[in-house]
Amino acid sequence: MNETIKLALILFIITAVAASVLAISNSVTSERIAEADRLASERAKMEVLDIAEEFKQLDENRLKEIVGDNTNITEINEGYKGSDLVGYTFNIEVNGYGGPLTFMTGISKDGKITGIKVLVHEETPGLGANSTRPFFTDSFKGKPVDSEITAVREPKADNEVQALTSATVTTNAIVDGVNLIRQIYSEKLSNLEGMEVER
Amino acid sequence: MKLSKVFFNGVVKENPIFVQLIGMCSVLAVTTAAKNGLAMGLAVTGVLIGSNVVVSLIRKVVPNKIRIPAFIVVIATFVTIVEMFMKAYAQDLYNALGIFIPLIVVNCIILARAESFASKHGLLASAVDGLGMGVGYTLALLILSILREFLGSGSIFDIQILGPSFEPAIIFLMPPGAFILLGILIGIFNSIRNKQASKEVLQKEEAR
Repeated sequence: MNETIKLALILFIITAVAASVLAISNSVTSERIAEADRLASERAKMEVLDIAEEFKQLDENRLKEIVGDNTNITEINEGYKGSDLVGYTFNIEVNGYGGPLTFMTGISKDGKITGIKVLVHEETPGLGANSTRPFFTDSFKGKPVDSEITAVREPKADNEVQALTSATVTTNAIVDGVNLIRQIYSEKLSNLEGMEVER
Repeated sequence: MKLSKVFFNGVVKENPIFVQLIGMCSVLAVTTAAKNGLAMGLAVTGVLIGSNVVVSLIRKVVPNKIRIPAFIVVIATFVTIVEMFMKAYAQDLYNALGIFIPLIVVNCIILARAESFASKHGLLASAVDGLGMGVGYTLALLILSILREFLGSGSIFDIQILGPSFEPAIIFLMPPGAFILLGILIGIFNSIRNKQASKEVLQKEEAR
């Protein structure tokens, strides 16, 4: 019994020391991590909707109203140039190959996808992780929102984007996400009345 | 024991990848690009040196019965510190390595060195052992990842070497290609090692 207590005590001391060391390094890095995250998010918005100069996040009620049951869309920002609304950015979480994958899509007011950017992912380096590379993300640029997007090896048509070799799950997850955003934009945010959403 | 011997023991004689074949899971997964291989190698080296030093320091106060949980706590602490600092100061790299940074905790190289070396040797020797093993691990990862990136994407460190006419062999980016290359590399490495070992024996005999 005595020995058990002694062992527990020693382990407790070790874990307590470890916890305090971690607390110190957390206090050193947490501010920088938050700052880096904020900057990354700001940069991402600029990147996916480069015509906008300022962004305004939609509040929770408005977000709910727009996305309805599609709660995997976690954030929508309005992009303004001066006082004009020029487009929107959408954050969406989808299921990638290695786990949840969060990316951002920008759609301009004239109905074009202005860019996508992967924010958080756990995809395989060199395969699914290539979804962060420009050759993939740039292929979404300028695609019209009124037609279903498909991923192919060699994109030619106006609704085709670059598929990632050996990373079909990642590609499909992102393409499906973009299509969902496309649809929600067309139904709820574009003011073009009577426009039919092609499926 | 001479420190240089301890160091080269980790790099060549008991190279964690080519000779001991431990910690293979993350090796096969991250070596798809040279940058990832190097970053993973450096992260593991950092954790190895840190955990070896601390394990060596506490080796006399930690009772034998609870040494494994104690070592794991030490290792996990270092991994978390590396993770935090990487996230704060090298976010791109952190995003590229993703899940494999926290998984360093369960990388057997680190626990193996804590258990078989650091818990029996002094501070300096343990630090050098960590460095040697880390360098050996990093070198192996670097060789494997450069080959895989070159064959699988036609580039090295993201710099395109082969033109667009090159049809990349995607298999080298996938696990089977990693196994094939790793097998070939282990064969080459061990045949060189064996030749050197037999040379040393010959030299010793001649000296007699």
